[in-house]
Amino acid sequence: MIASVPASNRELAERINAEARRDPHSPYAGKFVGIANGHVVAVADSWREVSRRLRQVEPDPGKCCCIEASADYDAVHEVWSVP
Amino acid sequence: MPLAEWSLYADRPILEIVLALAAGGAGLSRHLVADTGAGSRRDVFELILDEDDCLQCGGIPIHEVRLSGAYRGSFPVYLVDVRIPALSFDDSVPVVGVSSVPRGSDGIACFNFLRRFNYGNFGNPDGFGLDPLPQG
Repeated sequence: MIASVPASNRELAERINAEARRDPHSPYAGKFVGIANGHVVAVADSWREVSRRLRQVEPDPGKCCCIEASADYDAVHEVWSVP
Repeated sequence: MPLAEWSLYADRPILEIVLALAAGGAGLSRHLVADTGAGSRRDVFELILDEDDCLQCGGIPIHEVRLSGAYRGSFPVYLVDVRIPALSFDDSVPVVGVSSVPRGSDGIACFNFLRRFNYGNFGNPDGFGLDPLPQG
């Protein structure tokens, strides 16, 4: 079975996140990474640059994803305010 | 007096942002509660908005994030282009998409966003303002 584009993007993002967090010498460590259609298309120092590059390569945001490679996405973030 | 200043709304500090629309055009104006108690410096997001706004503005999926406190559970994070014209602020910002936002507002500007600026009442007890940080 062929994985959907979002699933392929997500799987690649998870691999990059794990690698960057495990290995500080990874080329992705400390970088912002843009993925489109299952491929890395941007490795940058800012979200702005990733966004610009992704929108050039793939105008459909549903076929893109991005990740802060060294971020801890498993952490629980507290929002104190009451909506 | 700060470069950008807004009157309190429903007695709360509010700021106005403009979200770039995926289809182009003038963008969506959104009023956010300025809340230093929302999140921390280490968070992977800066704003909390209605998820429909994130999608309407062509938000690029980032990852899910787990929240506790006022919001509980896993929520999607999107990369959204945000402007504050009075400050010439124009950047791509990670935004949590939720199904309900604080009453009387369109979302929350979290501490991690506010800390990009000088923020406060700047001597006006009925206002809230932002100024650029000094270049360093």
